[in-house]
Amino acid sequence: MINVLFFGRLGDFATQVPSTIEASTPAEIRELLAADFPELVRELNQPQVLVSVNKMIVGWDQPLFDGGEVAFLPPVTGG
Amino acid sequence: MADRIRIQEQDFDLAEEYQLLRQTDSAVGAVVTFSGLVRDFEVGAEGADSVVNSIDSLSLQHYPGMTESLLEKIVEQANQRWNLIATTVIHRVGDLAPKDQIVLVGVASQHRADAFEAAQFLMDYLKIHATFWKSVKRNGEQQWIESKVSDQQAAARWDNPDEK
Repeated sequence: MINVLFFGRLGDFATQVPSTIEASTPAEIRELLAADFPELVRELNQPQVLVSVNKMIVGWDQPLFDGGEVAFLPPVTGG
Repeated sequence: MADRIRIQEQDFDLAEEYQLLRQTDSAVGAVVTFSGLVRDFEVGAEGADSVVNSIDSLSLQHYPGMTESLLEKIVEQANQRWNLIATTVIHRVGDLAPKDQIVLVGVASQHRADAFEAAQFLMDYLKIHATFWKSVKRNGEQQWIESKVSDQQAAARWDNPDEK
């Protein structure tokens, strides 16, 4: 299972998403969510949204391994 | 190299941080500090035309573990580009009110140009690379802050390391 995190505004659309999902890439997680969470997936499809695996920014096709952590990151606004 | 990176809920003391930078080494000839505060308004992605009216409070979320390593990388880049003796980056998270301090960047170097430029670089890169997200509350309603094009532009000026 993969631990899944949503930050910033994405979290508002993901309150009902299970915290672990079985998937082999971040892109597959997005596909799996499409049916039940269309609003969230519309947000995830925004080109500025980045994905990280185990706290490293990666591409959407990065292979996932059991126990890994995927986070979906909207544009940052710190400082 | 004495670098301090902190992410914390509690406030920081600018004078204390300045003294730490100042005392690092007798070669320190310049200390530049920047502190960012919570304004009582926020400007939207489109600039001054989209001012969000006065806010009650601001909340900062971050990605623990990732934020620290991103900040370390940004500080490392600053050390590669400029001659720095010590660098401090403190960023607060959690709930903040207008006038509260959010962020401190401090740089100590032998000469002022390095400290001035590195401090600007650190803030510009922190703004667009470090995993923090701000939301504001106004009239009891939470609203996520949009990222600004002007922040992207400010950071882009450092993209070519040869053009300092």
